[in-house]
Amino acid sequence: MTGVVSALVEAWQELRINKTRILLALVGVALSVAALTSVVGVGDLAREGFKADSERNGGRSATLAIGVYGPSQPDPQKLEGAYRGIIERYGITYFSHAAQAQLSFQFPRGVQPVQLQVVDPGYGVIHRLDLSQGGWFAANDEERLAPALVVSESFYNAAGRPNLATSPKIAMAGDQKTTAVIIGVVPDPYPESPPSAYMLTGAAERSGVTAGGAAGPGQQFKIWVQDEQAAALKAAITSDLEQQFPGMQAAVDRSDYASYGDPFAPVQLAVGGVAGLVLLLGAVGMLNISMVTVRYRVREIGIRRSFGATSRRIFVGVMMESVVATAVAGVVGVMIAVAVVKNPWIESKVGRGLTEYPPFPVDAALLGLGAAVLVGALAGAIPAVVAVRVKVIDAIRF
Amino acid sequence: MSLTGVTRTVRLPDDQELHILRGVDLAVHAGDHTAVIGRSGCGKSTLLNLLGLLDLPTSGELRFQGTPVGQLRGNERAVLRGSSVGFVFQQFNLLPGRSALENVITPLLYARGAQFWRRRELAMDMLDRVGLAQRADTLPNMLSGGEQQRVAIARALVRGPRLILADEPTGALDVDTGQAVMALLDTVATESGAALITITHDVNVAALARACYRLEAGVLTTAAIPAGVPA
Repeated sequence: MTGVVSALVEAWQELRINKTRILLALVGVALSVAALTSVVGVGDLAREGFKADSERNGGRSATLAIGVYGPSQPDPQKLEGAYRGIIERYGITYFSHAAQAQLSFQFPRGVQPVQLQVVDPGYGVIHRLDLSQGGWFAANDEERLAPALVVSESFYNAAGRPNLATSPKIAMAGDQKTTAVIIGVVPDPYPESPPSAYMLTGAAERSGVTAGGAAGPGQQFKIWVQDEQAAALKAAITSDLEQQFPGMQAAVDRSDYASYGDPFAPVQLAVGGVAGLVLLLGAVGMLNISMVTVRYRVREIGIRRSFGATSRRIFVGVMMESVVATAVAGVVGVMIAVAVVKNPWIESKVGRGLTEYPPFPVDAALLGLGAAVLVGALAGAIPAVVAVRVKVIDAIRF
Repeated sequence: MSLTGVTRTVRLPDDQELHILRGVDLAVHAGDHTAVIGRSGCGKSTLLNLLGLLDLPTSGELRFQGTPVGQLRGNERAVLRGSSVGFVFQQFNLLPGRSALENVITPLLYARGAQFWRRRELAMDMLDRVGLAQRADTLPNMLSGGEQQRVAIARALVRGPRLILADEPTGALDVDTGQAVMALLDTVATESGAALITITHDVNVAALARACYRLEAGVLTTAAIPAGVPA
């Protein structure tokens, strides 16, 4: 108890007496940690943005896109039955048809063509679609007389940003003069993208938007499965479909970003390399300051040894000074990094494609703090060994 | 403390041996005031290292309070040194940036129990004994040479050592101040019952001792107490 308290009293004295020198050392380490943590934090944000973008396009890991192709179109009803069979047999929770169509809408400023995605309610989950307003399709939205639409921000702007609580309607230009209801808004996939919208498969068929149902041209059927089940399910479903459709080829392929391994690995490697370099520079700077400090303190260390300070006490003292200083610098560095990474301008530039920015990554903060303490320990160990080896009388006469 | 047939040899880079101390015999008891005089390079620092438990003899026996020092490990020697040996240096060696009181407190940071917890009170008492209580909060660079050495004496004595080692204690002081400091050191050491060993080349300092030795080429011999030179 006395040993711990006396070590703390001594450390506090050192801090008070050498505040300028320690502050200078802290600035260097704090900046290194801030750089390291910011690099990791910004990398994490970029990764989240890339992941969100990839999931919006290709689906979550693991999304299987299923189709049957051959010399002729497969029977739509039989194919639909085969898809239903797959869902029931393998207990698939999230699935969706996916087709694309071009449709014109009557906007306040005139008729404008819109890229329409014809999907099922499961599509929103599979592609992790975040809505900025309103809601995604529910199962009973198929039964609406006026087809429900989830539109992009640019579509919503072109429509005059109506209040969704009033179930705003928009006319589909064409022979049938159908009116659709906007129920939700998703962010634009990229700045100034053309208007686009989602419509449910059943509603699109009834409105004459798509023809041919499940087997229509360009139609895909998507299911979301566990990563580890993807390969086995791919083989099983391919076999099932080829048995049911002799002479035709079943295509069951992963469409998600992770289908060819972790695409973030190179990014992470690059980020890790930069972070390691920053850490190394911080460590060298800290070591430099510590070595100079110990040389400067040789006489003081000798005097303390003459008073009965054990070599362990001297080692711990020099080491602790370094570790405590870098730990404090680490906290300051992490705070700077949080301020940088959570800056709205940085978030908007780095986290493109995200509707909600993730919280500051805890692992980046822990990495920053851990690196600071590690740097402190490494940069403190060598001077501490030098301090222990000081020859007392020589040091006093230094 | 007793040294019996103590030698200290170091190996030089050219593989030759340098004999710094040769067969040193010395016995110092509580309350003794012993002076060791000698020229530069005669082995005074090496003897000081041994007496201060900072080094071990190459051969011979060194006992402190009956304990053979050679059998103690480094940290055990450090603890014994902290509790039983006080150093007074030529250049005072007060820690810069710390007040006189904080300097006197410093050895108590390595003490245990009541000495640690009552460190402020003990340090103030010691400063009072050397007549510097009113300058407790003064930094070393604001003190005169004599005052700095008095703070150093308070610091050396604050843990109640059984042995005080004074290495050229008046070397950085003028003659009058040096005499006053030595008188104080002698008085305080006598009051506390500690043995005082003064290593010096100043005959005035050696004249205050009750026993005197001469160290020449590593050999320690008894010498007559020199008559002090009048100031």
